[in-house]
Amino acid sequence: MVRINTHDPERQEVVSRRTLLLGGGVSALFAVIAGRLYQLQVADHQKYLDLAEANQFKRRVLTPLRGEIVDRFGNVLASNRKNFRLLLVPEQARDIDAALDEISKIVPVSDQRRARIKRQIRRGGAFTPVEVRDNLSWSEFSKINFQLPHLAGVLPDVGETRDYPLEAASAFVIGYVGAVTERDLANEDSDRERLLLRQPGFKVGRDGLERTYDQELRGAAGEMMVRINAHGRVKEEMSDTARAPAQGKTLALTIDAELQQHAMTVLKGESASAVVMDVVTGDILVLASTPGFNPNDFNVGIDPQLWKDLNESPYKPLLNKPLSGVYAPGSTLKMVSAIAALEAGVSPRQTTFCNGRTWYGNRFFHCWKRGGHGAVDMKRAIKDSCNVYFYEIAKTIDIDLIADVARRFGLGETYELGISGQQRGVVPDRDWKRAHFAGSPENQPWFQGETLSCIVGQGYVTSTPLQLAVMASRLATGKAVRPRLVRAVGDLVLPAPDAPPINVNPDHLDVVREGMDAVVNEWGTAARSRLEDPEWRLAGKTGTSQVYQITAEDRANGLAEPEDLPWSRRDHALFVCFMPYENPRYACSVIVEHGIGGSRAAGPRARDIMRAVAAKNPAALPPIDPRSLAARGGAVRSG
Amino acid sequence: MSSLILQGPRRGIRDRLARLHWPLIILLTMIAGAGVVTLYSVAEGSWRPWAMQHGLRYMAALMVLIIAGMIPIRYWMALAYPMYFAALAALAAVPFIGEINMGARRWIEFGGMQFQPSEAMKIGLVMALARYYHGLRAEQVSHILYLIPPALMIAAPVGLVFIQPDLGTSLLLVAAGVITVFVAGLSWRIGLIGLVGALAAAYGAYRFELLKPYQVERILTFLNPDRDPLGQGYHLLQSKIALGSGGLDGKGYMLGSQSQLQFLPEMQTDFIFTIFGEEFGFVGAIGLLLLYLAVVLIGLSVAMTSKLHFARLVVIGVTATFALYVLINTGMVMGLAPVVGVPLPLVSYGGTVMLTIMAGFGIVMSAHIYRDQDAYRSSDWL
Repeated sequence: MVRINTHDPERQEVVSRRTLLLGGGVSALFAVIAGRLYQLQVADHQKYLDLAEANQFKRRVLTPLRGEIVDRFGNVLASNRKNFRLLLVPEQARDIDAALDEISKIVPVSDQRRARIKRQIRRGGAFTPVEVRDNLSWSEFSKINFQLPHLAGVLPDVGETRDYPLEAASAFVIGYVGAVTERDLANEDSDRERLLLRQPGFKVGRDGLERTYDQELRGAAGEMMVRINAHGRVKEEMSDTARAPAQGKTLALTIDAELQQHAMTVLKGESASAVVMDVVTGDILVLASTPGFNPNDFNVGIDPQLWKDLNESPYKPLLNKPLSGVYAPGSTLKMVSAIAALEAGVSPRQTTFCNGRTWYGNRFFHCWKRGGHGAVDMKRAIKDSCNVYFYEIAKTIDIDLIADVARRFGLGETYELGISGQQRGVVPDRDWKRAHFAGSPENQPWFQGETLSCIVGQGYVTSTPLQLAVMASRLATGKAVRPRLVRAVGDLVLPAPDAPPINVNPDHLDVVREGMDAVVNEWGTAARSRLEDPEWRLAGKTGTSQVYQITAEDRANGLAEPEDLPWSRRDHALFVCFMPYENPRYACSVIVEHGIGGSRAAGPRARDIMRAVAAKNPAALPPIDPRSLAARGGAVRSG
Repeated sequence: MSSLILQGPRRGIRDRLARLHWPLIILLTMIAGAGVVTLYSVAEGSWRPWAMQHGLRYMAALMVLIIAGMIPIRYWMALAYPMYFAALAALAAVPFIGEINMGARRWIEFGGMQFQPSEAMKIGLVMALARYYHGLRAEQVSHILYLIPPALMIAAPVGLVFIQPDLGTSLLLVAAGVITVFVAGLSWRIGLIGLVGALAAAYGAYRFELLKPYQVERILTFLNPDRDPLGQGYHLLQSKIALGSGGLDGKGYMLGSQSQLQFLPEMQTDFIFTIFGEEFGFVGAIGLLLLYLAVVLIGLSVAMTSKLHFARLVVIGVTATFALYVLINTGMVMGLAPVVGVPLPLVSYGGTVMLTIMAGFGIVMSAHIYRDQDAYRSSDWL
């Protein structure tokens, strides 16, 4: 074994020499770097300064146009219009307050908006433009442009904003768009989309179809290289590098804008709703709710006072009544009750004597007609809406059977329309009661007395106007018609939903249909809803949904008539109908809140709507071909 | 290691702390401070997401440096081969268990932490080469037979890193290895032959498409930046405009409009020197370069004052790696070197590289504290 002293002077000498050499080499390379730095930053400074000042490229996102929403014939329900707006580039303005003061001299900037602008600047950084004002008038916009040389950092811009030409008439169908929130950004997983959402003034769907179909309507961002100077001003657009944005898809709806507007006019002044359906395809032609709100107020940032008024009005203008309003169906449920009775073995010929009331349990149940209807069979019970006839049936019938028939006719169910917030309503049966009252003192078995209330559409039963329109459609056709609202997304035409026959004896359906015909055409409760044109024979059923029970005390105080009650305590008025009677094509439901009676408040309004439907007969007209719509959009617009 | 016989005094903790190379620590801290300041500006005046994290990581890495520095240099020498082979094994395992990130497989999960074996190899290779030459007599260094082991020692990890693929790190490993061998005393004649061979290999790699298209693209763009102004060369041009428009005294802190307008990619990592140079100008950038140069020169002086041959070489290797990082990164953002994705040490955001560098300087610190210590070895099995 050889022992070597690793302290080897020769080796150390080599290392020292080479280390010095290395040190020299590294220092020389550092000198090269420093020289290059000198060349760039000192010698050629002016050259690069000029390049930086005047000759910069920046990738700019091109905002796509939002897809349009059109009715069944291509009439625009939602489109885009020019939006003259004012952007502020914080880095160029330097003193934000002073800049906003200057702008305020020309167009007002509220303190609230000022606070929001500052918040956005804190969040977005000095180089991201923020929107100071939008939807400026042309005169305001030109004044700003005239003053521009004195307004550092102000960037006038022409953007696009959502426009709803039908205003309130389309509010609940379409919804509205709103400013992008932090949550929207967090929900977006691709950087590309986030970048698009960050464009000043970009809007996303907030409610209704705008929200449900936001991805389809949004389109795809494009991009373009632009040459900007050091102040961020665009000097040149490199259009050869541009990738055009793709406009969002067009949504073609089943709605008929003309009839929709007509229905809104008919319901004007009331807190009411109307639904009209094509019973063959399930297309919803009218989905009206009054009073409405103007969705154009929402996409520009709603005024707080207006928002407060909308929220506090007893007419509930923000409630989408056809889908989200729940009402006791009242007598409009009697067709369902009659079919349940037929299935339970009651003969349609069988008569009951109505003397105005019947005793059950420990109290009287009243017919609406004091003094009674006399002898009534099933057809007459529907025609004159006799309660006692149905009370007598209810004394023995099983509630579960009524519930089963009600479900077959579409009650207690929500439908895929692309609008959230639909209510399910209640179709009560034994299971429902058990589940609903589980754990509370009311948790008791079903009482037959409750069936007496439910069979005439009171008590626990509730439904929405849409469900009642579906029920009318199914009574008209005997098929499980399902409603739909969107006919086509882009080029893609969606197939009409399946409508298989429902499991109901056709003879039973004939009995109740005859009753509905008699209601309108044989001097029944809705005789004044008759349509003059014999080709459009209307069959229907009135309903009154009790809101407040007039007590003995009220009567003692001289409060006998419903008109004596305050508005909010008056009964709701309902009407369901279909036409033509022989070969049904359209069904309709109308509910007028606190309208007192179906025959006086709801029936005539349904008649007015159906008269217009009959005159136009939209189902006979060819709907728009979505491919013809694709051709008219797709314009390149830059953000 | 029983076969190592110590020569030199044992030292207590207090003594070791007193003998820490404080100027070196202060310089490193100043450089990392420049990183925090610049990252704050890159985030448009925000501690998040980079500046705060960078500062905290530096504190942790500084603790690693001090602890590594207090470990006697002979222990590091004993650990040289085990560490090299552990890193090599980890590198070899990467293709099988590694995480794919940005199209390359570089990371492996280790005890819940992500860990890049190619980083550990930067120290491991230098240590192993130093350990090897520690055992050679001067006349053996240039003997062709004794050149085979170090050639293999370099080639194995470089090959594994290259196929990940990570061109930047493989070039760094080759350069650090070659510098260590050169300082150990390789004859100029063999060095020249090796250089010619390397150039031939590089040509062959290009010729037979061993490089990824984007790597070829980067090198070609480097050779002629104007060939694609909106693609690869676009970033370089933007970087030069940002630096050049900064001028002598810069545009002022947080006012680098070119950088802040986001003309540049990877501002928090590869192009951070551009932002620093734009905002602090020629004066500031030279100042930062001088700090780096001072660190390098201190490293080399530590190497020259060490008695232990292993210490001398390992310190050279670590210092040279550090210098290469600085030169390649700054050269890259000024168009003197291809854009290969090498960070600016201690300034660019990124935890793994910072840890590697600080651990490396930990060994430099150990060499400095134990500069009087030497060791005999009992066998010259190689």
